[in-house]
Amino acid sequence: MAILSRIYPIALAAVLTGCYESFTPDIDTTPVLCLNSLITAGVPIEYSVTRTWLYTDANGSTDHGVNDAEITLHVNGKPESISYIPQEGDQIHIVAESPTYGKAEAEVTVPVCTPIESLEWEADVTDKWEWVDPEAPEDTYVTTYLINLKARMTIADPAATENYYHFAHNIFSTDEGSQPGVTVLSPVSFYSGTFRYEAEPIFSEHIGILDAISGSDAYGFTFFTDRQFSEKSYTLNLKFEGMRCDVRSEGLTDDMLECGMIFTLNTVSQSYYNWSNYQWQIDNGTIGDLGDIGLGDPVQGYSNVSTGAGVVAAQAGTRYTVNLKDFLKKEILESRNL
Amino acid sequence: MKRIATVIIATLCISLSAMSQDVTIHAVNQPAAAVFRSIMQQTGKNFVYSSELLSGMKVTVSARKRPLKKVLDDIFTGTDIEYNIKGKNVILKRKPRKTDKQNVTRNINPLPSVTQPTINPKELDEVIVISRLEPPAVETSDLGARKVTADEVINTPALFGEPDVIKALHTEPGVSEGTEGTAGMYVHGGNADENLYMLDNVPLYQVNHFAGLFSAFNTDIIRYIDFFKSSMPAKYDGRLSSFMDVRLQNGKTEGHHGTARLGLTSGTFNISGPINDNTTYLIGLRRSWYDLLTVPAMALINSGHEEKVRFHYYFMDLNGKLTHRFSSKATGFISVYFGDDMLKTGSKDNDFDGDFSGFAGNDKYNFHWGNLIAQTGLNYRISADVKAEFTAAYTRYFSSLSHHEIYKENDGNGIITTEDRMKTKNNINDWIFRADFDWLPGDNSHVRFGADYIRHSFLPARTSRVSVTESTSIESRDSTWTYGGNEFNAYIEDDWRINDRFRINAGFHASLFNIERKMKYGLAPRMSFSYRPADNIAVKAAYSRTTQYVHQLTQSYLSLPTDQWIPVTGNLKPQTADKIAIGGYWQAANGTWAVSVEGYYKWMHNLLDYCEEYYLKPPLEMWNARLTTGRGTAKGIDIKVEKRIGRLTGQASYSLAWSDRTFANKNGGQTYPARFDNRHTINLLLNWEINDRVQLNARWTGHSGNRFTLMPQMWETPSFNNGFGYVVDEVPLRTPLNNYQLPFYHRLDLSCTIKNSRGYWTFGLYNAYNHMNTIAITRGYNDETGVSADGSYYSSRPVFQKVKLLPIIPSISYTWQF
Repeated sequence: MAILSRIYPIALAAVLTGCYESFTPDIDTTPVLCLNSLITAGVPIEYSVTRTWLYTDANGSTDHGVNDAEITLHVNGKPESISYIPQEGDQIHIVAESPTYGKAEAEVTVPVCTPIESLEWEADVTDKWEWVDPEAPEDTYVTTYLINLKARMTIADPAATENYYHFAHNIFSTDEGSQPGVTVLSPVSFYSGTFRYEAEPIFSEHIGILDAISGSDAYGFTFFTDRQFSEKSYTLNLKFEGMRCDVRSEGLTDDMLECGMIFTLNTVSQSYYNWSNYQWQIDNGTIGDLGDIGLGDPVQGYSNVSTGAGVVAAQAGTRYTVNLKDFLKKEILESRNL
Repeated sequence: MKRIATVIIATLCISLSAMSQDVTIHAVNQPAAAVFRSIMQQTGKNFVYSSELLSGMKVTVSARKRPLKKVLDDIFTGTDIEYNIKGKNVILKRKPRKTDKQNVTRNINPLPSVTQPTINPKELDEVIVISRLEPPAVETSDLGARKVTADEVINTPALFGEPDVIKALHTEPGVSEGTEGTAGMYVHGGNADENLYMLDNVPLYQVNHFAGLFSAFNTDIIRYIDFFKSSMPAKYDGRLSSFMDVRLQNGKTEGHHGTARLGLTSGTFNISGPINDNTTYLIGLRRSWYDLLTVPAMALINSGHEEKVRFHYYFMDLNGKLTHRFSSKATGFISVYFGDDMLKTGSKDNDFDGDFSGFAGNDKYNFHWGNLIAQTGLNYRISADVKAEFTAAYTRYFSSLSHHEIYKENDGNGIITTEDRMKTKNNINDWIFRADFDWLPGDNSHVRFGADYIRHSFLPARTSRVSVTESTSIESRDSTWTYGGNEFNAYIEDDWRINDRFRINAGFHASLFNIERKMKYGLAPRMSFSYRPADNIAVKAAYSRTTQYVHQLTQSYLSLPTDQWIPVTGNLKPQTADKIAIGGYWQAANGTWAVSVEGYYKWMHNLLDYCEEYYLKPPLEMWNARLTTGRGTAKGIDIKVEKRIGRLTGQASYSLAWSDRTFANKNGGQTYPARFDNRHTINLLLNWEINDRVQLNARWTGHSGNRFTLMPQMWETPSFNNGFGYVVDEVPLRTPLNNYQLPFYHRLDLSCTIKNSRGYWTFGLYNAYNHMNTIAITRGYNDETGVSADGSYYSSRPVFQKVKLLPIIPSISYTWQF
């Protein structure tokens, strides 16, 4: 089916496109500095300073470091050391200067974190079965639970600002995993299932008509804006299917059932949203394909750095933990009573 | 099916009847050339005569649906001019002098007469001149105007051998085709959406099929095409760069005649004839026939596979026209045009509807887009000097795109179904009411005036999406952007022949556009001026202003069903253009050769385009937020040399042009060259009628390459952990827009027409010497192998690559005339 996902524009382009011929264009190029940094509120600033390279310079893609660049930082108009810990609302101006490649600068405001107003969740076991773990030293029965989780996360968009958000999720459990050479069998193992991106339409708001009809979807993309709920509350429908929890019969205590999901809502800078959206458009959208074959304008790389190379982004996040301990305990008790 | 075929064949056989053509004309003491042009419009015949033969000749003739031969008899009986109808030409020459008859006036029943007060009685050399459908450029005040006949379109070689109105106009200097193979048209540095395409005076929004490879006009039923690119008649407004009105034939009054054509990509069937003494009909059908191949081909491809792939595409144009003559003063008509493209594709697992384990899917894409025009009109002669045309029309552009995906999972305990339905549509509905008047207050003045009201309804986009999973059903629908607009236009112009040397055309077009309770207006003066220092030389100058209230948003140079027409809403101002043009024209005394040189300068204001990084704004954002406004200029010189007479005819043209754009939010506000800023363009078109049966046509085009944004440098992608399973490895460094010029473009197209008693074969070669032209530069990899500096092996190297398009493409078609 993947071959059909671009059936209209790409198949047409393939029909039209005759062949490719390598050549060296006669065009002047001068390398410039590239500055990349993702600034997170409360975390020391990390950055990367490199240089641009000519596409046909095969070594350029791996050897483009810059050693002679100096970094200066201004926060809210005042000079600060590079070890400064950024705070929400800070206006940060970074300048990188190299005697060889010149100067690159960018400015970003660390967003004020929008809190999670409320989060409701419910889980249910869709299937369970028992099996004997062949790797265990003795016969150990393992009960596997397949779990679906639905959560409704409500956020209240603050007034008077244009906000951009990024939703992220991770699992946590007491399973520390195996070390090299040593197999550790934790009484409880927890595995993430499938996150249903399509269940929350706001994750698709960046998808254009041409992309949608050619089969592009929001898979992997959880950035969104407040355009549809500016200064209002909005509830995200988050759906996970097929999360798996393996519970062993031996050595189980209540504490070991500490597992679940950590939801993170980052309020991100426009530059971070634009960069991520640009990546999606190039990888999944049709606009990049059309530009590559001359049937549309080529897409210029997104950058908010003065040289046109690099992205300086910022974020401030808040977390909410969904702990399935009590839910699992109840399920296990019910199973054993049966 | 058999019965249908029988009926069609029978109809064709019955229709192989008389080939005579009827003429209806009423002229009182009119210049002979004007009368002949009217006859040409009705019959398609060219008139061939020596230049001084008709000098000062006035004609009075009245005929109603009389055969051409009888009308010509009426005109020339009693004169010293004789005519000979030879093929498509009516050749006029002076009779061998037997008696000295001068100043002959003779009345012929019912009221035809010819007055020749200034005919020189001396015998002339038989130098023959062809008078085309359009008056010679030296005789008018127009600049950059063309009246193109269907024959000229058919005799211009085209891709896949499909005669194409728009591609025929690409041979005109100052008209660029844009991306090779497409029916795009960029006139004097304008954009593709700045051309107003009309079918019998009614606007058509979508004029392409198959992403722009073919235009939507059925060439076989076209009477002529009016095309204006420099001095714009006051009648037309609403686009900045050009106006093209495709006029369809009326039905034949004697016998049922038509054509049937089968080509590589499509077939046409056209027929017209009388219903009764006063009513005629015309039916034209064109349809692609790829699906006759793809349906069995897909069956073969799918056999033996677990997944069935669907692919079904066609395009179609259907024209119908009824003309009824109410009286000698009034003729009415009803016409309908429907053209559409349909693409259905997708895939389905064989066991989707049966028993299966694991997954089974069914995926459908349906795309349907096109145009509908329905109009009725009345041509009424109010008096001998005043004619009126009243039109009521409905024109609709529609586009409906849908995707329906169903996945089923059988885990042994039952089937879980996941469904995703997405539908988007956009359309425009216009109701048009129009009155146009032609008034001849005297021999030297021709006044045209009129007004129209258009009720617009725009639905630029409505998208809905339904996602159904095992336990949830989510429906999302974007805001409904429906806009109603009211447009009012009024115009007046006078084409005034001051004396034999001076001629002036002055006019004015005023428009009002009301949308969202805001009134926008356009005042568009038009003026052109001609001075003839000699009979065969003219110097002209013109100024025109044009106003445009709708704009097309498109992400590509193709014509796609996702393209949206949007009105100027909010605080956007109408786009306007001011253009000045000057020209010099020379025509050989016998009319064989004609040379024109035209220069122009165009200022474009309030232009709209997508802003930089518009694609980063969600589609739900109002389109205004994705646009930027700016200006543009275009200037250039068009030179054209034409040979109009003889078995070898054709034209050579050269254009020197500049075109640039400046937008507030594009290219950092800096001026940049337009994509189709082709500095030099040369077009050669030759039509060689070897004999009465065989004709060769050749077209060579060459132009400076299109502009392209080439990004030669890369930078390291930031390693942000944004949760993607995919990242762009390296990012191109932004550069000034259209900073690189693609290599010189050139191509030769050939066609050969061989006639037989029933019709003609057309053989074509597109890109005859197989020079594949570059349309883009892309970044890719070659397959060079070697050892790099650090000792590692590599199997490819990054290289720039030219993307080349369209090799030599032969074509063949047969046209049956009956």
